[in-house]
Amino acid sequence: MTHLDVRDLACSYGSEKILKGVTLSAEKGEVVSLIGPSGSGKSTLLRALVGLTLPSAGEVRVAGKAVDYSSRKSVRELRSQLAIVFQQYNLFQNMTVMRNVTIAPITIKKRPKAEVEALAAELLARVGMEAKHDAYPEELSGGQQQRVAIARALALQPEILLLDEVTSALDPERVNEVLDTIRRLTDEGITMLLVSHEMSFVREVSTRVVMMDDGKVVETGTPSQIFDSPTHERTRDFVGMILKH
Amino acid sequence: MNYTFQFGEVMAELPYLLGGALVTLQIVFFTFFLGAVLGLMGALGKVYGPTPLRKAISAYVIFITNTPALVQIFVLYYALPDAGILLSSMAAVLIGLTLNSTAYLTEIIRAGVVSVRQAEMDAAIGLNMTRLQILRYVMLPHIAKTIFAPLSNFFIWLMLGSSIAALFGVEELTGRAINVSSVNLRTIETFSVVAVIYIGLTLIASMSLALLGRVAFRVKARVF
Ligand SMILES: Nc1ncnc2c1ncn2[C@@H]1O[C@H](COP(=O)(O)OP(=O)(O)O)[C@@H](O)[C@H]1O
Ligand SMILES: [Mg+2]
Repeated sequence: MTHLDVRDLACSYGSEKILKGVTLSAEKGEVVSLIGPSGSGKSTLLRALVGLTLPSAGEVRVAGKAVDYSSRKSVRELRSQLAIVFQQYNLFQNMTVMRNVTIAPITIKKRPKAEVEALAAELLARVGMEAKHDAYPEELSGGQQQRVAIARALALQPEILLLDEVTSALDPERVNEVLDTIRRLTDEGITMLLVSHEMSFVREVSTRVVMMDDGKVVETGTPSQIFDSPTHERTRDFVGMILKH
Repeated sequence: MNYTFQFGEVMAELPYLLGGALVTLQIVFFTFFLGAVLGLMGALGKVYGPTPLRKAISAYVIFITNTPALVQIFVLYYALPDAGILLSSMAAVLIGLTLNSTAYLTEIIRAGVVSVRQAEMDAAIGLNMTRLQILRYVMLPHIAKTIFAPLSNFFIWLMLGSSIAALFGVEELTGRAINVSSVNLRTIETFSVVAVIYIGLTLIASMSLALLGRVAFRVKARVF
């Protein structure tokens, strides 16, 4: 069964239509990458999927079950299966690294503290942050904060992970450490929706690539279809411009 | 001028005066914490509430902060009995100061609420926290940290301001000072001692608050 199924999703800020009917899907364990020019609605799509921005039309199904964004219960159930990592990491500044990672499982999932801390320690080690349990976000570099944010999302043990340009706010020398972290995750069968401008990385890890422009999906295909033989003018231009860069 | 200071009679009343300081502290703790809880609700209502609620809260804050606390308590104590509501002097003072704390703390806390980063709110929602959990774990620590200085100042202001209770016959520190001096007629000595006790109270409060800020909220507050 399709793990994440998005049909004709529309979204507006005020009177301005941002998403104009987006359709895409991901099978279990797939890594679907969203590419497209800045302002095309990629972040809005991810925010709408978790209900941070309310969709105005369309349908979202997770493992076959339709999400009702007007129902708090339905949205809470959705969020228990989904985790999002933001471009600007959005760590809680008043909490240590360890607390950032453990707060949700302890307070929301009511899991035993010791068990959660053991899991968190394992996750932090996996993202190379085992030495920073007691540090506060302000004491960390952007790359380190982003890796903590990924560990925080993983501590929820989500079935679907949404990653929004997780490397774009980082110094070039920090990009690889975060990409390595994601690369390892793709081997674990977690379904991923990934927004990224790192084209070689997208090509390497994606099972499918979705090209977006102006709130719509322009083209969907395998990485080689999108990068080597795009059928749409817009995709060709965008990919050509980014690869030249 | 050949006035000789005599502190002996005042010092004999020191335990009585310190008892008054304890009453002052009770009044301040009660009105501060009740005001803080109501002020938090006011601040949240003012930032996130529907327009009628926001307007109502603004009107309340403007009304209270633009009239003297003394006049408000006066109304509670002397005018309400005409409407059939009889309050003890202590009750009138507690209610009056709480109404005041609520108004001032609504404004102070509101500044903290609007300074909570939207990014952290988004993250908390994404992590599936409930509204109450977001308030408890994300907003409150941030609010407390940002508004710590004005909050401490208000606490001190309230402690000193609570002396108006004496005008209604409440036997807190100032009230007991009036009692003592009207018996021993050593007004200067009595009020000098009382001033020192007030300074002691504010110093202890400032230092406790600075310590609390440092331990609980990582605020680097200085007392001097
Ligand atoms: N909070 C907001 N209010 C109004 N407009 C917004 C808001 N966030 C994003 N937008 C607009 O929505 C469009 C899509 O933005 P976004 O989803 O961030 O694109 P992308 O992530 O693809 O760069 C842009 O035109 C942007 O200006
Ligand atoms: Mg974006």
